[in-house]
Amino acid sequence: MKRLISLIISLLAICGLLAFSSHQLQASSGSTGSKVLNLYNWGDYIDPHLLTKFQQETGYHVNVETFDSNEAMYTKINQGGTHYDLAIPSEYMVAKMKRAHLLQPLDHHRLTGLHNYDQQFLHQSFDPHNRYSLPYFWGTLGIIYNDKFIQPGTIRHWNDLWSVKYRDKIMLIDSARDIMGMALVSQGQSMNTTNPTTLRAAEQKLTRLAPNVKATVADEIKMYMTQNEAPLAVDWSGEAAEMLANNSHLHYVVPSEGSNLWIDNLVIPKTAQHYNAIYAFLNFMSEPQNAAQNAEYVGYATPNRAAKALLPAADRHDQQFYPPAATLRRLEVYRDLSPAKVELYNDLYLEFKMHH
Amino acid sequence: MKHKFANVYLILVFLILYAPIIFLIAYSFSQGETMTNFHGFTWRHYQTLFSDSRMLAIVANTLLVALLSALIATLIGTLGALSITRTTKRVTRESLLALNNVLMVSPDVIIGASFLIFFTMLKIPLGFGTVLMSHIAFEIPIVVLMVLPRLREMSASLLDAAQDLGATTRQLLTQVIIPFISPGIFAGFFMALTYSLDDFAVTFFVTGNGFSTLSVEIYSRARQGINLEINALSGVMFLFSLLLVGGYYWIQQASHKRRQRKREVAS
Repeated sequence: MKRLISLIISLLAICGLLAFSSHQLQASSGSTGSKVLNLYNWGDYIDPHLLTKFQQETGYHVNVETFDSNEAMYTKINQGGTHYDLAIPSEYMVAKMKRAHLLQPLDHHRLTGLHNYDQQFLHQSFDPHNRYSLPYFWGTLGIIYNDKFIQPGTIRHWNDLWSVKYRDKIMLIDSARDIMGMALVSQGQSMNTTNPTTLRAAEQKLTRLAPNVKATVADEIKMYMTQNEAPLAVDWSGEAAEMLANNSHLHYVVPSEGSNLWIDNLVIPKTAQHYNAIYAFLNFMSEPQNAAQNAEYVGYATPNRAAKALLPAADRHDQQFYPPAATLRRLEVYRDLSPAKVELYNDLYLEFKMHH
Repeated sequence: MKHKFANVYLILVFLILYAPIIFLIAYSFSQGETMTNFHGFTWRHYQTLFSDSRMLAIVANTLLVALLSALIATLIGTLGALSITRTTKRVTRESLLALNNVLMVSPDVIIGASFLIFFTMLKIPLGFGTVLMSHIAFEIPIVVLMVLPRLREMSASLLDAAQDLGATTRQLLTQVIIPFISPGIFAGFFMALTYSLDDFAVTFFVTGNGFSTLSVEIYSRARQGINLEINALSGVMFLFSLLLVGGYYWIQQASHKRRQRKREVAS
């Protein structure tokens, strides 16, 4: 018993030590002061050096908390009990949060860097006048091919994937909206179609792709492609960038007939408290130099036109991640569909998956 | 011959269990940025880890929550197990146990979501307190389940004998029951500790206001791909668990020896 008590006491002592060191660590980075900004972000989605620079310039310390999916973030903000000042949802989630009255409008008079953004990424359907959101990073859906197996230049369009040459060679990202969207675009339809006949036809077409599909996988696609397991894959540009960095034989193509355009956005949730810090941060991140530094760290495409000009030429002219204007114009942002339509997309996609 | 096969089998099983961890730790010394190829030895990832004060604060928070919640849950759980065995009415005892087990098997996501709703309804701000409370809550059933078997093994005559020899209730508890069930208590404490360390689902819902734990932080990095700093961290955490197990073993050995010595003195 004596031993048990001494154990408990020593455990409590360790706890005290841990609490103290945690407090010290946080104090050393200045997060206990009153000049703070609470940022709710995807993991590792901002250059930490920028946060230090921001604190040096403005005195605001940024507390970063992280989430792993749009839905998880939505739940946390919707439920309250937190004090996030800024969050970074994807475009469809911006629409959903707006409808749920979880967002506060931006005061455009306090934004100094709005003119730096490319018009292409402003005034999108999910937030027509950017009343609630500022674009943070963007990307596309496309085809990754391995030049060990496939001659560069042979893959240019979605329809190329249907060729009998590629039997059992393609890996698809497991996402209903993206794969259905790919089939729709290949038939010259919009990725936001809600017409059941058109959608059925797309499903029919996908079924014809089934013999070519090696697997429908999620995150593992990155690993398989890097290890030369498959010659072709359909995936998002962010994932592609990472694959390309690890395997020089891989290339990324955005078909010129169109594809998806996704945008992650900075928004002010209703839980916000530190408005001066928020606008300081938004303006700081709109500055070309900072946005460029962040783009180099994260590796995604920046919507900040002035920042893009500051990127190394190799990045700036990389048509894989900054597609030419003609292609860019044909990219479509996913509209937020009604639950019934979302279900239709999911059901048809599931039918395709069962066939294959 | 038979013996040889058993040894080979044993080695194989341990190899399979430990290979992923060793693989992960080995890459924390790689000069590259990802786990695809090994590019030669470096301490760089450990340097980044130890200069990342946000990450270190998260590590400290995680350990603090784990130790403190395991300690409190062990106290409450042991008392709970004691009272369950003392309940004489069979129906009450069984239903108490069933209620305890329901918490064990219900999915973490549901427990987490209900905690989130509960805390926000009571207007308790999310953070250290809420994480600690919910960890204690889901660890208690584990401790109860670890302590109960030891209590059942204890024969009633042992208690009768102690009482006949004039032990008070207090003495009965501190000098007979607790020493007897202490292996169960320790096991419960360590189980609670590991549950707390690797819980993601519940913790995710109740973190907030700048407080975060390791599992939440690592999960949220999945979209960007996990960098080798996390490998380095895994290496450090693995070393920590080795020390923990070593410490546990040392405590056990020491008490064993002491008991033996006592017995020798008595005889």
